[in-house]
Amino acid sequence: MKFQSDVVIGLEVHCELSTKTKLFCPCPTKGNEEPNTRTCPICLGHPGSKPVLNKKAVEFALKLCLALNCEISPELIFSRKSYFYPDMAKNYQITQYDIPLGRKGKLKIGNKEIGITRVHMEEDPASLVHPAGMKESAYVLVDYNRSGNPLVEIVTEPDLTSPDEARDFMKQLITVLGYLEIFDINKGIIKADANISIKESNYTRVEIKNITGFREIERALLYEVKRQKEAVKIGQETRSWDSERGITFSLRKKETEEDYGYIIDTDLVVTEIEDKWVNGIRKHMPELAQDKVKKFIQKYKLKKEDAEIIAAGKQLAEMFEKVAQEIDPLLAAKWLRRELLRVLNYSKKELHETGINEKHMIDLLKLIEAKKITDNVAAKILEKLVEKPFDVKEHVKKEGLEAVSDISELEKYCREAIEENPKAVDDYKKGEAKALNFIVGKVMQKTKGKATPKEVNEILMRMIK
Amino acid sequence: MDTLNFIEKIKSGEIDIVEHTEKILEECRQINKEYGYLNTISENLALGQAKEIKKQLKSKDKKIKNKKLLGIAVSVKDAICVKDVETTAGSKILRGYKPLFDAFVIQRIKEEGGMIIGKTSQDEFGFGTFSINSAFGIPKNPFDRERSCGGSSGGAAGLSQKLKNHIALGESTGGSIATPSSFCGVYGLCPTYGRVSRHGLIDFSNSMDKIGPIGKTIEDVALLMDIIAGHDKNDSTSLNAKSEDYEKYLKKPIKGMKIGIIKEAFGQGVEREVEKNVYNGIEELEEEGAKAEEISLELPIKYGIPTYYMIATSEASTNLAKYCGMRYGASEKLEGSFNEYFTKVRSNNFGEEAKRRIILGTFARMAGYRDAFYLKAAKVRTLMINEYKKAFKKFDALVSPTSPMLPPKFSEIEKLTPLQHYLADVMTVSPNVAGLPHLNVPVGFEKNLPVGMLLIADHLQEGKLIQLGSAVEKGK
Repeated sequence: MKFQSDVVIGLEVHCELSTKTKLFCPCPTKGNEEPNTRTCPICLGHPGSKPVLNKKAVEFALKLCLALNCEISPELIFSRKSYFYPDMAKNYQITQYDIPLGRKGKLKIGNKEIGITRVHMEEDPASLVHPAGMKESAYVLVDYNRSGNPLVEIVTEPDLTSPDEARDFMKQLITVLGYLEIFDINKGIIKADANISIKESNYTRVEIKNITGFREIERALLYEVKRQKEAVKIGQETRSWDSERGITFSLRKKETEEDYGYIIDTDLVVTEIEDKWVNGIRKHMPELAQDKVKKFIQKYKLKKEDAEIIAAGKQLAEMFEKVAQEIDPLLAAKWLRRELLRVLNYSKKELHETGINEKHMIDLLKLIEAKKITDNVAAKILEKLVEKPFDVKEHVKKEGLEAVSDISELEKYCREAIEENPKAVDDYKKGEAKALNFIVGKVMQKTKGKATPKEVNEILMRMIK
Repeated sequence: MDTLNFIEKIKSGEIDIVEHTEKILEECRQINKEYGYLNTISENLALGQAKEIKKQLKSKDKKIKNKKLLGIAVSVKDAICVKDVETTAGSKILRGYKPLFDAFVIQRIKEEGGMIIGKTSQDEFGFGTFSINSAFGIPKNPFDRERSCGGSSGGAAGLSQKLKNHIALGESTGGSIATPSSFCGVYGLCPTYGRVSRHGLIDFSNSMDKIGPIGKTIEDVALLMDIIAGHDKNDSTSLNAKSEDYEKYLKKPIKGMKIGIIKEAFGQGVEREVEKNVYNGIEELEEEGAKAEEISLELPIKYGIPTYYMIATSEASTNLAKYCGMRYGASEKLEGSFNEYFTKVRSNNFGEEAKRRIILGTFARMAGYRDAFYLKAAKVRTLMINEYKKAFKKFDALVSPTSPMLPPKFSEIEKLTPLQHYLADVMTVSPNVAGLPHLNVPVGFEKNLPVGMLLIADHLQEGKLIQLGSAVEKGK
């Protein structure tokens, strides 16, 4: 289902930066998951404690601003956003208000540019645990392990015109975050709030909160578009996405903007974002996915679709480039894109979890190129590699997996198969083409897959005449 | 016996540190019964420190003899965190709260052998001029118990007048070091904003809070200042300025120094007895060779009060949000929703002045008022700093009375409206808003009550204040 521009969507994406320590204190952002163990007087908001800015987090946020082509503020200023909520250690959140770190950026999805209104930094609140579910719990538990983790908030212009465009945007953004190595793609939390309005309701703005991940964003927005189209009357309101039930529900009707009484947090001095600093970061910016796609198409002549899939993950893209130095890029692309991803998908593993590196792939593909192993055998080796890496060349030798290229040996297997399956031979002779496949299968069994079906086919056709 | 002599006697063993500490603690208890200067007497901590010092003095380790505060009793304003010692900032909402860590200044004092004897009484979170807005004891003036000590570091100033071989740590946001020092006849130095780390100081107004020493002599003030000043990586606003030996400014001649007498700070609204004594103080400076001349500084006196109260209450209203009975301090019976619960905790445990300032400050930073109040105040603050800076091109220090009045009776204070309360800070708020160091110098007595003179210097010029203060002390 495609929607036309009668749908208007803007996103506010919150993404956890993968620094080792929290934004304003030395507590680790990861590690012990036991509640309230990664805390200190600062992230618990104890009286007398003072925040000290983690410069690494600023560097991460600057990388993102550069990747999104933002104008960068010459000064980093933090404000206090005041509201009372049990997940807030200080009942105010340290965030940025008037002057965000980055402004007026853009991110391309396909051929379309999505405007980035602002990128700013802030601290994560604690997490709330409702032991008996959101509605039923008589009490709520607070875990401050997350309290003070660094976040960036990315706000888009209302440039998105459909739920699937919103999904593409999120996907592209996650790819960028992954390439910059500022976000843990596997464990990091990325959440979005979406503003959505449709023509039928005269573009009445509805905000949907708490959407986690890029798959959810499309689901939530599809639901919301449908709901709004069917509803008799749409009023301005804030709704929440319930992923389990697949619905949005109303949190509050919005009459006026909430007033958070922002003031500057004078516990934190204004940090100058010097050009020298930004240029140093710019110098070390990695080539991003979109550049890689271009390069893969132009330099290696890959199909756009293959290029995009390979470039989506930084590790895979880098592996491809190394493999393509020694192997025909099209063959390399085929094996990385189809076989490797298939096997990873099947075993539910991420590339970085497997220990497979470019040497494994080069060895494997060289054997294929030299016709020393068959595709079948290669695929099986790949499956094993995903479980536990090993030396491919040695493995092939040790297991005797080299392809049977000796014609006389192959002919011997074929002769045996013909003798053992007279009925199939008869059927084939009577014109049943399928019967030959049966005999090919038998030969393949005898060679344990070390021969190519094409070769066997040819020999058998020649023998049965 | 002056402080340095005393420290020598501790080092030589002539005075037994443990016996002395027991004596001091007993003295504190006696004084406290009559005057109410201490919210907590940290007996275990002080005696533990004394025993440790005694042990080290007996050992061969000579390092102990280099400690600059060895055996000196230090009292700590209750808003400053001392590990494992109840720290309430004078508020019921923090009753029972024992910090997990020492403030930077406490670490420094402990390192130099100073003994932490207790937490001094104050206005709740520093909200006051007379130390009457306290959830606990109200400190009484050492010269007349029916009168106020001044605030908000009232307990600190009173104890400095009463207890020997003791220096106090005070804290000032809008005059809370200078005013009580003036009312209690002691020296109180409020340093440049950022000169002393705020790490471990319970916030009132982050952009103005400063920790500083209060002592019976200017020597004591210089000694403690030496120890607490300096950069601290745990406070982002801590200045990375060169360290100074403040004691070298003591007895340094002041001949040729230029003093600006703030014209607007005299005359209308100032009690005549106060004015007379401050002029005497200025004369003493002139006798020592300083040159005094009048200067007009309109902005600070005219706009100091509104500017200060806008910024201070805005910041305070966010700082006080964290007190909701969830993790520390006072709590109430757990029932109702979060909103109902924290409302109950805050209604029952904040004092009236705290509530007033939360309401004022929240109002001043709301959308629609933010520009008119909070942001406007921030702009005026910049203008005030500029006006002061201009004056310091010509003068080494500026002078005014510290308080327009003699220490008032509690019965008189009761009659004041909240606005009249705020107006009593007229002399001190502006240097505080501008982050300028200032010193109260006792200059005389009137009706048996002390009068203080306020000296203000440019940023990081605490040395000049000590130099001038020392000259007045010598003159007496």
